[in-house]
Amino acid sequence: MTATLQYKVGVFLALIATFMVAGAAAGAAEKIVALTFDREANTLFLARAHELYRSNDEGRGWTKISLPPSVQGNAIAAVAASAKRKDMLYLAGPGFGVLRSSDNGRKWVARNDGLPSRDVVALAAHADQPDTLYAYVPGKGAFRSQDAGVSWKWMDGGPREGIGQLIHSNMPGSMQSGWLFAATPNGVSRSMDCFCLWQDAGVLAAAVDAVSYDPREPRHVYAATADGFFLSTDGGEQWTRISMPASRITALVISPSGTVFAGTADGGLYRSTDEAKSWERMDA
Amino acid sequence: MRSVLLGGAIGLFAAITAVRAGDDAPTAIDSELAASGRAVYRQHCADCHGARGEGARAWRQRDAHGELPAPPHDSQGHTWRHSDPMLDRIVAQGWRDPFNKTERLSMPAFAGTLTPQEIRSIIAYLKTLWTPEQRQFQREESQRQSLSPAAR
Repeated sequence: MTATLQYKVGVFLALIATFMVAGAAAGAAEKIVALTFDREANTLFLARAHELYRSNDEGRGWTKISLPPSVQGNAIAAVAASAKRKDMLYLAGPGFGVLRSSDNGRKWVARNDGLPSRDVVALAAHADQPDTLYAYVPGKGAFRSQDAGVSWKWMDGGPREGIGQLIHSNMPGSMQSGWLFAATPNGVSRSMDCFCLWQDAGVLAAAVDAVSYDPREPRHVYAATADGFFLSTDGGEQWTRISMPASRITALVISPSGTVFAGTADGGLYRSTDEAKSWERMDA
Repeated sequence: MRSVLLGGAIGLFAAITAVRAGDDAPTAIDSELAASGRAVYRQHCADCHGARGEGARAWRQRDAHGELPAPPHDSQGHTWRHSDPMLDRIVAQGWRDPFNKTERLSMPAFAGTLTPQEIRSIIAYLKTLWTPEQRQFQREESQRQSLSPAAR
């Protein structure tokens, strides 16, 4: 190998190393893919594709949660906290399916019996029932577990457009126990949790990245699209554009006290205590 | 007309027999109750939900009042997703779709018209319209609700 070639190889390797370091630093600003709130523990959870954090002070301080090997090489798509069961947490993502931790993220167990594959892209916990969960597998449909993920049952094919993100709400008026709202590539889709009929929730003719609702007033539903941020005060019939952070919102959750948390595509976490009239950037 | 009725009766008997013969006990149906339920259904339900439980046309589409037309009760609908207590309650008390733009019930209440036994008979008849898998699902839903009052 000539000196020139050695030099070029050296420069090349140095560049790769530089990019790797820069990439690692940029990892701190990786897109936020999911937010959820454990009401029992008053804990906020934040997920990036390969990282999971919790905050016990509404986003001021964060603790990183170690992830099991099955998540490595895959990407987290959803995080859900069990209603009324403190420290019971679920993770979902394509490749590893559904994982459950009953000790606040110290130990994780796969919970995929009854799912057709581990390609779970959306997961939601029932708003009131501690052991009821909903999962979505593209091309296969929506599944329900009523035993904290131990077994899953196929419910239906899901909305025609597919599901990118899913929440369960205890909004009144359901034949059963609540409602499912799905972020889809063409608006928000809504169904009673009997899976009787998926319908368009109003007209939001845009890809929806995130959907959430205000637990103090369940008819208040928030939806983030590439085109903006919207609030419905009638369960998803009419949508009004509201203010949003500078970056595209990719994850949403509203705390029991009504604070709106928004994770963004550039990795930022924002919160609003006045129903999205103003925003404060948090360190996350 | 007589031959049509006779054919219908034979069909119902065959369906119920098939239900009883083809399924395990868990999804068996009370054939006598279902037969009487069919008559009650035809008198009180068929106008909206169809003579064979096929539902109204375009039942997935809201009308100008925001109301959803009567859904099917057969295997194409979603009735089989509801437990016995829930079906009983919906028939007796009615139900209003919260996105209905009118104040009227989407499903009228029949408690003043039908006896509890007649409502049970209609539900038994509807079960003859479902697949064995749907009957199994519905039976499990009914069991779960009877075990968990909080889930009702």
